[in-house]
Parts: sequence; C-alpha cells; structure tokens
Amino acid sequence: MSHSDTIPLHPSSQSDIDEIENLINADVHSATVLPARPPSPPRVSIPISHSASPLPPYQKVPPSASLPPIVPAVPAAAAAPAGSSRIGISSDAFGSSPDTLTEPVWDTVKRDLARIVSNLKLVVFPNPFREDPGRALRDWDLWGPFFFIVFLGLTLSWSASAKKSEVFAVAFAILAAGAIILTLNVLLLGGHIIFFQSLSLLGYCLFPLAIGALICMLEGNVIIKIVVVSVTLAWSCWAAYPFMSAAVNPRRKALALLNRNPESGIFAGLITVVDSAKIARLICCSEYDCGSNEETERRIFFIRVVRPNKYHY
Amino acid sequence: MERVQTTEENYANPKTCLFHVLFKAASLAFYILSALFIDSFVIIFVVTVFLAALDFWVVKNVSGRILVGLRWWNEIDERGESVWKFECLDQESLARMNKKDSWLFWWTLYITAVAWIFLAIFSLIRFQADYLLVVGVCLSLSIANIVGFTKCRKDAKKQIQQFASQTIASHLTSSLQSAFSIV
Repeated sequence: MSHSDTIPLHPSSQSDIDEIENLINADVHSATVLPARPPSPPRVSIPISHSASPLPPYQKVPPSASLPPIVPAVPAAAAAPAGSSRIGISSDAFGSSPDTLTEPVWDTVKRDLARIVSNLKLVVFPNPFREDPGRALRDWDLWGPFFFIVFLGLTLSWSASAKKSEVFAVAFAILAAGAIILTLNVLLLGGHIIFFQSLSLLGYCLFPLAIGALICMLEGNVIIKIVVVSVTLAWSCWAAYPFMSAAVNPRRKALALLNRNPESGIFAGLITVVDSAKIARLICCSEYDCGSNEETERRIFFIRVVRPNKYHY
Repeated sequence: MERVQTTEENYANPKTCLFHVLFKAASLAFYILSALFIDSFVIIFVVTVFLAALDFWVVKNVSGRILVGLRWWNEIDERGESVWKFECLDQESLARMNKKDSWLFWWTLYITAVAWIFLAIFSLIRFQADYLLVVGVCLSLSIANIVGFTKCRKDAKKQIQQFASQTIASHLTSSLQSAFSIV
C-alpha cells in the first residue's frame, strides 16, 4: 500500500490506514518502531502504559482539567517487562503508531483540541476546501458539537429571566432533535451524506449562534441584539450551505436550504423571546417567508415520505 | 504453581479497571444523589452527561484496548461512504488477556446500561420529561459502546476462525509439498 495510488483523503486518516496496513503486512513482531509520521488523529490515541486520559464524548475529546495525570506510577518495574512486550504486540495488532501509544496525556489532549479547531475552521470559516465536500469534514467528531450545544443551552438558560431549567432542556432537545431531523430530511430528499458526518457538521454550524447568544447575554440593547442575531443566523446558513447543497440534487437545494433557516429561526426566537422581544423572530420569519417553522419541516417531510414518486433524483 | 495462580487471579491492569468503573459510577451516583443536594436541573444535566461522555471515551479508547484487546471506530473512505472498522489483538495475545479484566469490562458495561434503563423507567413513572432526557443521553452512550464492542468481538472471532482455517490450509499445502518432494 503506497501513498501514490490513493488520493489522500485527509493526511491524518490516510496515515492511519497506512499504518494499519503496514503493521498487518509486517513480519516482525517485536516492538517495531514505525517511521516517524505526522501526528495521527486522536482516534489512535491512548498510551497503553499510561492508561486513561479520560476524555469525553464521542471520539476524541477535549480534556477536562481535572484529569489526574494518570501518572505512570504504574510501577515502572512491573510495567517495563510486561509493558514493552504488550506495547509491541498491541502496536502491531492495533495499528497505532508507537509514538501515540507512549505519548503523555497532555499530547493526546492537545491533538484532540487541534482536531476540533481544524474541524471548526473547515466548517465555519472561509477556506479553500469549502466547495469540495468530499474533502471537508472527513474526520468528523461529535465533541465540538457537544460542547457547542451545551454552551448554547447554558447561555440561553442563563439569560432567561424565568424557567431556566426548562429553557435549557428545551434548547438542548430542539438542537439535538433538529440536527437529527435535518439530517434525515436531507437523506430523504435523496442526498448522499453520512448521518454522523452531517450531525457533526450541523453541530459545528451552531458555533456562530453560540457566539451570538453570548453577545446577547452580555449586551442589553435590543437593537444590537437583533443585529447580532441576524448576522450570526446568516453566518450559520452560509456555513451549512455548501455541505448541504453538495449532498443534495440541485433542484432540491432550495428546499434543503429553506429547511436550514427555520431551525435557526427557532434559536433566534429563543434568544430574544426570553428577553420578551419577539421582533427578531418576526424578522426571521418574514425574511424567509415561512409560516410556522415546524409546519414547514413537517410539510417537507410529508411530501418526501408520502409522495416519493413525484421527485426523481 | 500457587504463585502463578495468585497472579492470575489479580487484575492485570488495576488502574485501567479503576478508571473504567470510576466514571460510570460517578455519573450514576451523581445523578441519583443530586436530587438530594442540588436544585438546579441544568447542573445535574451538564455534570451527568459530561461524566457519561468521559466514560464513553475512556471505555472506547482506553479500557477497550487494554482490558479486552478490542477497538472499533468509524472512517469515511474516498468515495464518501462510512465504514465501521473493528480491530483486535492476535489470537495469542487474546488468549493471554486477563480473565478478571475482561469479566469486569463486560459486566460493568451491561450493569450500567441496565441501571440507566431502570432510572429511565423511574423518570417515566414520575413524568419527568427533562430527567428522561438526561437518562436518555447516558443510556444511548452506554448502548453505543455495548453494540460497538459486541460487534467487534464477533468480528474478532470471525477473523480468528478465518486465520485458523488459513493456517490449516497453508500447513496442509506445505506438508503435501514436502511429502511429494520426498517421494
């Protein structure tokens, strides 16, 4: 297996696949040291001799500060003989490069953070890979979205004057369910996306809204809030558009886009309504000319499911 | 002999076992006990889900590899298709895995899932939809790990069988060849 005959998807995942194949083909089973490679994605992390570095969510995670550096107090004596043979075997079988096996916890953590930042940059900020959905967000992870959803919920709940816990629960439920429904909708519209990748993407698109919520929480002026909400809303839509549109047949692009907006409208509504100013929601609704947000989604869903013959791919 | 037996009875990776159990227990305990101390639903939600997520990561990435020699993940290949990958240690190392470790690993996974199911039933009975949300998230994380590792184990068994049959076939071939060369 060589680099030359495959298109590198993403440098990190490619190196992973290479490592795995190399190790499978390798004859030597002693603790071979693989040629130095650029740090592979966290997927492979976890130093065996150093055991856990508890990191949360789905694949790689940002560390919590309290992680007791699982000190390799693992009696070095006991670990050494057992550890080295084990590392050798494990690295052969698992396909993880020795450098990630024995790296200190902090390195793993830094790598995870780097991955989240790179995913964020890919999705939310302009970059040359945006228009090529095949290469963007290959290394999906759900950590970023997890933190953004929780953060958004917390901010909304904080700025709510009453019923804080209800606001949080509703925000979290709507965000999570909304992402799932949108993904299903694109799938039903005949798009070609992967469920988790899309969830990850939608989660990252919440980043502008989270910033907007933070600003709204700190800022008192209603007019500024409306402006901020509209700007972040537009930013979110812009961020999601290329991925969604590439996944969906061009004729369905408009439908998919329309579906993205009502959800944002709900969040904008949550932010301002809790401050008892319904103007932002009206603005959003009139801009995109949607009656009721849930109704639009239901209508699209209904059309897709009940009358599939009308739409060809 | 006795010493060998004694070492076999102990856990091979006490630290990993501890962490494997720690976050599960912490998240369950926090959820159950928080009702006594803490008023705010938001804090209960965030802390419980955070601990459950930490536990998910630890099990998937650390204790899975160390205690039972299995690992699973998802990749997206060139064509944009999602591929679930499973990996396991070779036969020899698998056989050498500490029995206690793997017993602990699997049983705590199952017990945690069952505990969350009980808690879900409780919150259903008490009509607390928001707590059901918390329990739902934690339960789905536990179940995801169980499903992932079970599939991985089945895959490992299949691979071992394939490997064994391949080895037998290659042995047969080589012995046949040597037999013919002698003749």
